[in-house]
Amino acid sequence: MIDYIVLSMTLLAIGIYGLLTRRHILKILISIELIATAASMNFILLASSLNRAMGETFLMLAFSTDTCITGIVLALLIIVARKYGTADIRKLAEIEWQEKVDEEKGNSKEIEGDV
Amino acid sequence: MELLAIGLVVSAFLAVVLDDAVYSVASLAVTVTLVAILYSLNDAGFAAVFQLGISVGTLAVLFLSCETLSEKTNERKPLRKALLAMAVAILLSVPCFLVSVGIPSTSISSDVSFSEALWNLRAIDIILQGLVIMTVGLGIVIVLQTKKERSK
Repeated sequence: MIDYIVLSMTLLAIGIYGLLTRRHILKILISIELIATAASMNFILLASSLNRAMGETFLMLAFSTDTCITGIVLALLIIVARKYGTADIRKLAEIEWQEKVDEEKGNSKEIEGDV
Repeated sequence: MELLAIGLVVSAFLAVVLDDAVYSVASLAVTVTLVAILYSLNDAGFAAVFQLGISVGTLAVLFLSCETLSEKTNERKPLRKALLAMAVAILLSVPCFLVSVGIPSTSISSDVSFSEALWNLRAIDIILQGLVIMTVGLGIVIVLQTKKERSK
């Protein structure tokens, strides 16, 4: 006999592990998908074991919201990856930090020039 | 059923652990299919159909973006790492059979059918959800049209 709550908790743990350890943005998205799947699985199996049709109804709403979110996040990821030429989230963070530093240096040079 | 649970955990773990993004998405496809089978075995047919239908679209987009985002390398991935990951995943699936949390019992009657729940109780939600999806579709069309005009 399988305990579905434990099964969905295992899936949730795998998703969180992926979210914390992976660097590729697609892997992070896959981890988020796994977390969403674990949540909906917990919900639907609990509802079906209690003979509730409401569970399936809510799941349909959750699915469409989840798909919209995935589509928007994926579009943003592709834009970012094309702009900066990398899909590594740490490299992206470094690039952003470097841009901020360059911007600050540019501002300080402008102030010195004014003085 | 037990095999299904083991397969689910193994494919989910491989989706996270495998280095190649295309293999990861393939593994996620297996996970989603197994989840749908699990739903149908637990008398949740509608949920299984929704899960499969929506996931097919998501996975197609993920496969396409995999090709766009992943860097091509010729180095061979060690099989040992994948086998180790599978062994770890099988170990992770063991608590599903050994540990039991239990489902709380309820005294509330459950005589609401799926269509009743959908249209009588959640009708406003469903209509609003449809509006949101239509807005997303409209947004995509506008973005594509703007891009087309710019390229001209």
